[in-house]
Amino acid sequence: MKTTRTFFQEGDHKWVAIVRDPNKPNYIIDTNEYLVTHGGQGILVDPGGAEIFPAVFSALSTEYDPSALSAVFASHQDPDICSSLALWLEFNPKMHCYVSWLWGSFIPHFGGNEETFVSIPDEGVDIPLAGLMLQAVPAHYLHSSGNFHLYDKVAKVLFSGDVGAALLPPDMDGLYVENFDAHIRHAEGFHRRWMGSNEAKRRWCERVSKLEIDMLCPQHGAIYKGDDVHRFINWFDELQVGIV
Amino acid sequence: MSDMSDSLPINKSQLPRADVDLLSIVRINEEIKMVVAVSFKINIMALNAIFLAKRAGTAALGFGVLSNELRVFSQDLRTCMESLTGLIHGCVNEVSIVLQDIRFSRLLREAAEMSPHYPCQAVMKKRESENYAHARVLASLRMQLKRALEDAFQMVELGGVLAKSAKIEAAYGQSFAPSLAQVSGEFDGIVEEIRGSLESLRRSSFFTGH
Repeated sequence: MKTTRTFFQEGDHKWVAIVRDPNKPNYIIDTNEYLVTHGGQGILVDPGGAEIFPAVFSALSTEYDPSALSAVFASHQDPDICSSLALWLEFNPKMHCYVSWLWGSFIPHFGGNEETFVSIPDEGVDIPLAGLMLQAVPAHYLHSSGNFHLYDKVAKVLFSGDVGAALLPPDMDGLYVENFDAHIRHAEGFHRRWMGSNEAKRRWCERVSKLEIDMLCPQHGAIYKGDDVHRFINWFDELQVGIV
Repeated sequence: MSDMSDSLPINKSQLPRADVDLLSIVRINEEIKMVVAVSFKINIMALNAIFLAKRAGTAALGFGVLSNELRVFSQDLRTCMESLTGLIHGCVNEVSIVLQDIRFSRLLREAAEMSPHYPCQAVMKKRESENYAHARVLASLRMQLKRALEDAFQMVELGGVLAKSAKIEAAYGQSFAPSLAQVSGEFDGIVEEIRGSLESLRRSSFFTGH
């Protein structure tokens, strides 16, 4: 079973990471899911693949009523991001799914109907959550051609999808990056291969450098916090990507 | 939470069956495609037999009547096969839905078992009733397909009688007798081939369940 770790809380405004399932088969990539709650409403960020649904559901339901989720946010179209969509919809068929307009007719293959999907335009959009405005921040070509990250300016948290992801060995299973230099070695190959455009990377680095970020939360691996956030952005800015 | 995992009896019993069903239905489809192709061949053969009977004139009056009947038979057979193909496509679709139901039910059951603190009964019940509805549609299609196959088999029995009668009539064809015998023999061979295919389809695990 996965565990939940609340890493931001201010009243009923929370960010909860759903992480690390020791029972997950090794052939399935490990993923982080994030629950954002505010004013009684909840949004699940990159809800995960169908095969890990039981573990994510079980962990999430210890924190929040899954049938009360108002939306899921899908950073892009990959199966480890949102192939569980149909299963979450079983608990709340009226739940929305925010996703790039580019994937609006692709993701319904995972489930949902015309009313389910809220298309995000290329320039991004504000996503309301009981008075809190979350921002869908463009991250196109990093790695998907229609890709968004999610920024919470109140919590100063940036969910960064595959950017910042690291494929960590079993002994590095902490929630946060403890030693940046040791950690980043496990991120380098991933970023070089998966991130397809240096130009897109440059723009992203410029864009997020202007944001106040205390935590940068990737979909795989550990969370960057404090100085490691800008250390990561600088490292990424320097990295040549799109290389096999 | 065991009551929740017990609340999906359809899936538990269907688990091995749906996989086999999909495989069986794909095989049935391949066999039917073969029969459809053969029935088209019979149509052409019957047309040739009609021309041959006309050339033979009064020596092949009986053969002419039978070749007309064989042509009608081949057209009926083709229509019958088209209806079987439609039913098979429906079965493939429903079996695929049932397979998806099984996967979703497994994942929901696991989620419920791992979340004893959370009430999943309503969702599981809804899922169960959808599973049941899909299983009923599939059961109905299975019955329709079985009936359609039986009808096709009866039709082929008639085709066999016509082909054998044509062989007898060919013997009265005087100088055309060898040609008429060859054509009627080919008819008979093809009808037997179709009969063999349909017999194996009747024995398919899709209908017998094993």
